[in-house]
Amino acid sequence: MANSIVSIREVVKEYHLGQTVVPALRGVNLEVERGEFLSIAGPSGSGKTTLLNLIGCVDTATRGIVEVAGKDTAKLSERALTSLRLDTIGFIFQSFNLVSVLTVFQNVEFPLLLQNRLGANERKARVMQLLEQVGLATHAKHRPNELSGGQRQRVAVARALVTEPLIVLADEPTANLDSKTGQAIIDLMRSLNQQKGTTFIFSTHDFKVMEHANAVVRLADGKVLARETPQEAVQHVLGRREAAAEASVGAP
Amino acid sequence: MNVFSPMVWLLAFRSLLQHRLFTSVLAAAIAFVTASLVAVTGISNGMRQTLLVSATTMMSGHVNVAGFYKSSASSSAPVVTGYKQLRELVTQELPELDYMVQRGRGWAKLISDTGSIQVGIGGIDIEREPGFRKVVILKDGTLDGLRQPDGVLLFEEQANKLGVKVGDRLTYVASTFKGTNNTLDVTVVAIATNIGMLSSWNTFINDQGLRRLYQLNDETTGALQVYLKDITQVNAVAERLRKVLGARGYELLDANPVAFWQKFDAVNRESWTGQKLDITTWEDETSFVKWFITLFTLLASLVTFLLVVVIGVGIMNVMWITIRERTREIGTLRAVGMQRSSVLSMFVTEGFLLGLIGTVAGGILGLVLSALLNSAQLVLPRGLQFIFLSEKLVVTPSAGWFVFAIVFITTTITLVSLVPSWLAARMKPVTAMSHVG
Repeated sequence: MANSIVSIREVVKEYHLGQTVVPALRGVNLEVERGEFLSIAGPSGSGKTTLLNLIGCVDTATRGIVEVAGKDTAKLSERALTSLRLDTIGFIFQSFNLVSVLTVFQNVEFPLLLQNRLGANERKARVMQLLEQVGLATHAKHRPNELSGGQRQRVAVARALVTEPLIVLADEPTANLDSKTGQAIIDLMRSLNQQKGTTFIFSTHDFKVMEHANAVVRLADGKVLARETPQEAVQHVLGRREAAAEASVGAP
Repeated sequence: MNVFSPMVWLLAFRSLLQHRLFTSVLAAAIAFVTASLVAVTGISNGMRQTLLVSATTMMSGHVNVAGFYKSSASSSAPVVTGYKQLRELVTQELPELDYMVQRGRGWAKLISDTGSIQVGIGGIDIEREPGFRKVVILKDGTLDGLRQPDGVLLFEEQANKLGVKVGDRLTYVASTFKGTNNTLDVTVVAIATNIGMLSSWNTFINDQGLRRLYQLNDETTGALQVYLKDITQVNAVAERLRKVLGARGYELLDANPVAFWQKFDAVNRESWTGQKLDITTWEDETSFVKWFITLFTLLASLVTFLLVVVIGVGIMNVMWITIRERTREIGTLRAVGMQRSSVLSMFVTEGFLLGLIGTVAGGILGLVLSALLNSAQLVLPRGLQFIFLSEKLVVTPSAGWFVFAIVFITTTITLVSLVPSWLAARMKPVTAMSHVG
């Protein structure tokens, strides 16, 4: 697709545990367009994190093609992949993964220092603007261990967006948060997606989170089952749960 | 982002602070090794300085114009004839000269009522010896007693062996340079504190007394001991004296960097007769003692090196643990775009900072320890006095060794930290992020 920011074709990913080969993705195809707010859904072990790792260029496919921002990641050197991550992709992790020895401000500023393109004043202005947006401007000098889980995840969101990346990848961003805080984080991501047009790809198995996406890619056993609307995806999830419940009632 | 980036330093510094238990233990170990190195090199330096001061007072000038007189091909005496004329010539030729003394040289048996010892004899004119009074510390008697033709200065250990005190009479028995035996009765006028090895075989008598013992005339002495205003000029001055004296018609021995008494065999094997001069430096005359210092320095360096190796291995292990603890953090930093070289810089900077903190603290500790040891005026056991060339422990740390200890140990620790840092930098981001621990 001409407008694709991510293009995945016939991707296979296998892990080797001693002599045993464990397939994590089995021939996945996926196109993600610029500005999408895409959810990847599926049960544990379905391949959500593996898929995000491949898109995020922190892992490489065993077979198939992964193109990010028009670049075939298999053909890039380690250094070029790192630069691609820095300039094109923002990460939001399930466990926040902030650097504990740095303040909130320094955590958010860190990717800008790696880029080394902006002067100190410009960096400060950009970091403070993002901290304003995520509601943490007053906590700029705090250390991560002085913040709640929700506040830490908002710092992670600010860090992911500070380089103005084309894509933000979020792996179960609400999994370690209570439902109210999780909702706030998703709302924040959604509003940033709408304001800046940044592509968001996030994994979840929480259908309340899926509902906010404009498309849901459902994975199971390392394969894409469907790309559908959030409503269709939720119905599938609910239907499968009801079927499972009926089966357990009918069992001897 | 490289080692010059403030963020790398901030990360390194804060990480060390966060792991303050590890940091404290390692910094303390590094400080201990550095302090040991500074103190040990201070002791070595103290030995060297003690040797310089005691040797240049008791047995050598900074430069010596000495020599051998051979009445026959196989018989030599360590004397310089016509020394007064030679002294004038040296005075004219050396603007670097501070002062000059003449010393008689001899080797004799010293006999008391209860025992005897073989000793060297220095014939001294106490009126013209400005340095001697500064170095020799008297236990009893007075150096002015050496104005008497029969006065003798002994050191404490010699007096104990001979069982004598100030005022007692002793007899020197020596073979004169003509081959006959002669004796000289002397009176103990002073007993001085031992000055390590050098004082165990040196006694001092009035230079007229020495001439009487060896039946020498007033124009003969053992050596002209030349003292310079700047001791670093020693080798240049010795070289110039060789040229000047050679040009003035004096016969000279080839330069040989050993003490005069080690040259008898070689001189006696040569066929010439008459007078030949020998220009030596204080280092030549003490070459037989300097191996003690060299050995001590080598042993101390070996022990320090082993300590550095032990500390290095410890640091590598602790860095391993730290890196394992921070594997997820490394994965995160790599994921958000930190290059491998920057990860390497970050951990190497941590190793460097740790080394710098430890070595600077240790260096200062070493200086304090040295000052305390000096002020304590520790009296060494007799066996050690012999080796350390002093009755008391003298620790003189030098700025050069202080800087060397800091630079050497910090560099070693930084290099050691390269290994775990490099492995940390090689980690795949996905592996590091999924690390549990």
